[in-house]
Amino acid sequence: MALPNPALSQLPDNYKYGWHDADAKHLNIAKKGLSAKVVEGISRFKDEPEWMTKLRLKAYRHFEARPMPTWGANLAPIDFQDIYYYIAPTDKAVQSWDDVPDYIRRTYDKLGIPEAEKKYLAGVGGQYDSEVVYHNIRADLEKLGVIFMGTDQALKEYPEMFKEYFGTVIPANDNKLAALNTAVWSGGSFIYVPKGVHVELPLQAYFRINTENMGQFERTLIIADEGSSVHYVEGCTAPTYTTASLHSAVVEIIVKKGARVRYTTIQNWSHNVYNLVTKRAVAYEDAVMEWVDGNLGSRVTMKYPSIYLLGERAHGEVLSIAFAGSDQHQDAGGKIIHAEPNTTSLITSKSISQGTGRTSYRGLIKVYPGCKKAKSTVRCDALILSDEARSDTYPYMEIDEEDVTIGHEATVSKVGSEQLFYLMSRGMTEAEAAAMIVNGFIEPIVKELPMEYAVEMNRLIQLQMEGAVG
Amino acid sequence: MTAMEQAAQVSGFVTVGRASEIAPGTVRVVEIDGRSLCVGLTEDGEWGAIDNVCTHDGGVLGEGELDENAVECPRHGGRFDLFSGRVLALPPVVPVRAYATRTVGDDVQVELDA
Amino acid sequence: MGVEVVEARPLPLDAAAIGRISERHGEADWLRELRRSWLQRAMETPFPTGQEEEWRRTPLKELPRDGALLEEAAFRPELPDSRLADRGVVFTDLATAARDHPDLVRPYLGVGDGVASHAAFWALSLAGWTGGTFLYVPRGLEVDGTLIARITQPRADATFLPHTLVVADEASSVTLLEELVSPDGAPGWFGGTVAIHALQGARVQYANLQRLGDAVWNVGAQRVDVGPDATVTTLNTQVGSRVTKLGLDLRMSGKGGTSLLLGLLAAGDDQHIDINSLQDLIADHTTSDLLYLSALYDRARAGFYGVTRVEETARQSSSYQECRNLLLSPHAGAEPIPVLEIKTNDLLRCGHGATAGAIDPIQRFYAESRGLDAAEAERMIVRGFFEQVIAKIPVEPVRTTMLAALAERIGHSEAFDEAEAAA
Repeated sequence: MALPNPALSQLPDNYKYGWHDADAKHLNIAKKGLSAKVVEGISRFKDEPEWMTKLRLKAYRHFEARPMPTWGANLAPIDFQDIYYYIAPTDKAVQSWDDVPDYIRRTYDKLGIPEAEKKYLAGVGGQYDSEVVYHNIRADLEKLGVIFMGTDQALKEYPEMFKEYFGTVIPANDNKLAALNTAVWSGGSFIYVPKGVHVELPLQAYFRINTENMGQFERTLIIADEGSSVHYVEGCTAPTYTTASLHSAVVEIIVKKGARVRYTTIQNWSHNVYNLVTKRAVAYEDAVMEWVDGNLGSRVTMKYPSIYLLGERAHGEVLSIAFAGSDQHQDAGGKIIHAEPNTTSLITSKSISQGTGRTSYRGLIKVYPGCKKAKSTVRCDALILSDEARSDTYPYMEIDEEDVTIGHEATVSKVGSEQLFYLMSRGMTEAEAAAMIVNGFIEPIVKELPMEYAVEMNRLIQLQMEGAVG
Repeated sequence: MTAMEQAAQVSGFVTVGRASEIAPGTVRVVEIDGRSLCVGLTEDGEWGAIDNVCTHDGGVLGEGELDENAVECPRHGGRFDLFSGRVLALPPVVPVRAYATRTVGDDVQVELDA
Repeated sequence: MGVEVVEARPLPLDAAAIGRISERHGEADWLRELRRSWLQRAMETPFPTGQEEEWRRTPLKELPRDGALLEEAAFRPELPDSRLADRGVVFTDLATAARDHPDLVRPYLGVGDGVASHAAFWALSLAGWTGGTFLYVPRGLEVDGTLIARITQPRADATFLPHTLVVADEASSVTLLEELVSPDGAPGWFGGTVAIHALQGARVQYANLQRLGDAVWNVGAQRVDVGPDATVTTLNTQVGSRVTKLGLDLRMSGKGGTSLLLGLLAAGDDQHIDINSLQDLIADHTTSDLLYLSALYDRARAGFYGVTRVEETARQSSSYQECRNLLLSPHAGAEPIPVLEIKTNDLLRCGHGATAGAIDPIQRFYAESRGLDAAEAERMIVRGFFEQVIAKIPVEPVRTTMLAALAERIGHSEAFDEAEAAA
């Protein structure tokens, strides 16, 4: 769902993007299943430096040793041996549409990608079956020294910078899924913005899972040097298939002194995907980091974008929307660690559950001793649209400094009958009225999205609402 | 008391183990003087010592791995510099205390109270 | 079924010990048997491992377990007015009540599962209790004034497991204040449990002032069952102990029931006060609110893990959970975690809030600009902070007792009293 598509007129259960490209010619399909051999094979095939191969193998050891998390959503159905861990459709990234292989272009066409050439986009790194196939960095960005390429390519072209930052924000052994990603990562985006450079237009990319049982393990690394700013937008779709699919990405972001990064995600995976992601940013002095996180799809999402405020006056924000329809569980939230004085943070979470869906907010505000004048506000609101839906809120707080102001507020509610009645008395149908109320509910976050995503979001919610009110 | 022991007492260095018992590229736990230390030898032959408890969640650093000069906590992978105690990788944010280290003969010595 | 001993170190009581307790009190067979069945449960219920959310912040390994079990507790609460006894109120120690009024005690004592988070401790207390209060208020009777009970642990280095049982029959009304006291100095284990049954339409106010010795571990548990249209308010004030781990379990199983859980905490030195609660809204039209306030000095730490659970069967419920922490020294710390688990959307009101931080500098400035010095300004503000809870149980002597106990830690604020008197 990278861009608005006028054909979006079907209900989500008739999953619009529910198809996969039968013509896919996969040059190398590693066999299903995971082992040290597969891990090493991936690294050798990519022709990686020795340190990366060793790191992958170490990460695989950690993955094997760690147990699955016992909290959060139900992950029992995932069979790690029933997944392909690597597919490379082409040998290298290309610079223009003409070079992209036919079947991939058809995929992109169906998803509306030719519109990516519109002037307001700076470039697109597209993920197709684990490899960044296409990206187009505009001349002006190149002139400014902005690096925007696939992570695999960045490892080759900028090895020192890569090694300096890779795994410093999310180390291999941080959690089981991060260990898996570090072992088998492939694809993702690498962005470096030099000092003082402001990238005006959002950089975009998206991902797809194509082959049945294909795991997606992209690894993204963004470094915003002092005083710079950039907005990265990630949106994705996936086709439907009958067995569980796994998306386990890792995103590391470093926001240096005075810099500003916003990372927007609209996730709309089909309803058989397990979306388990580790996203973490560090923000230094006077830096600003913002996660805008929309979780609409997937069967299960477990994702808690985090910000470590490591410099004075750093500011972190997490804006999160979660929508869970029947048989979906969105377990999301945000974590902010205050490690320096005068740091501020804001978490705003809006969640909606309907049918038999379940949303859970899980968050942490941690203030280390000595972080005077730290301020944090967390606001979680949940809307439960049906009898059988469910909502949970788990807001953790660890406050070890006195001279701070930390607050958390949450409400859980349903669509008020008085509100509905009022709007219906003005001529709306019940579905329209409910959709309007729900849109008002999520408005504070939707207004932060790039316009085309905001339009898509509102339309999606509207579709979900049809038949939901009762 | 030998001259060396006397010198050690004056300088604050105490013996924590035998150099020949610690393999290069590894760290281990040393309990001394009521303190718990993580002592390590890099592949390049340099000795270092830091506090044993990870400042993130209490992991035992001496039971972790040593990657060049980085001690990796076994609990969540956080890394500290073996010589300065500086944080090299999250999730810890607070550095650990580091201690001056030297070898005298086959004795590895750490300066506990600088 | 075989007995599975789950603890390497011995429990503080065994069959011989509970046998001695029964002997000493001349207990009837039904009570002996009740103790034995709870002892069985105690042996089969493992202690928390520390992985549980409610127990992660409590260093349970350090629980003092060497103190001898108190097999007799000598105190007897008394009715302020003997006419209440004539009208059917029973207010005495639990052992005496079990002997003299088995018809009232037996239907309620040891019934149900107690406090889920503290299952092992509940079982120990129900097996080996000594001391504790029994209060029964007959149907329709409204008891004026406050009934007072003092639960005293005579020696600090003991293991003491009193059990208090309150039964308010239909449409009755009563206020009970219990004070927990023990000497300073030696470490001991106080494992007092409380069970409150409010039957249809009853109104119960239960206040508990914990002023245990400075080396004592207080592992307490309170279970409340609120019947249809009944109202229960509890106020727990923590001033003493070295470590407190209090579990509150409140079940709103009667339609139209209302409950309010209030808490006050003033801690300093190296105290560690951790409270977990469960407000389980089960029936229709139930209301349950919670307000816990803490003021933390020196190196004190307060943890709070509160769960509001609204079941599918609880339509039109109202609930709000609030936990506020004032940090008054650089080394004090707080971890307030209010949790919502909502399984229905048919809600009237549902939410929670938590705060932690220092006194608002503007408030401080305002107070000091009225001529108060810094210390007095702080005392006044903290006293004012606690007023949100104090105002909800304005009953004497509950109010004065709680304030006097809090003043031992927060100091006495004349400025506040003057302002109040003038208002």
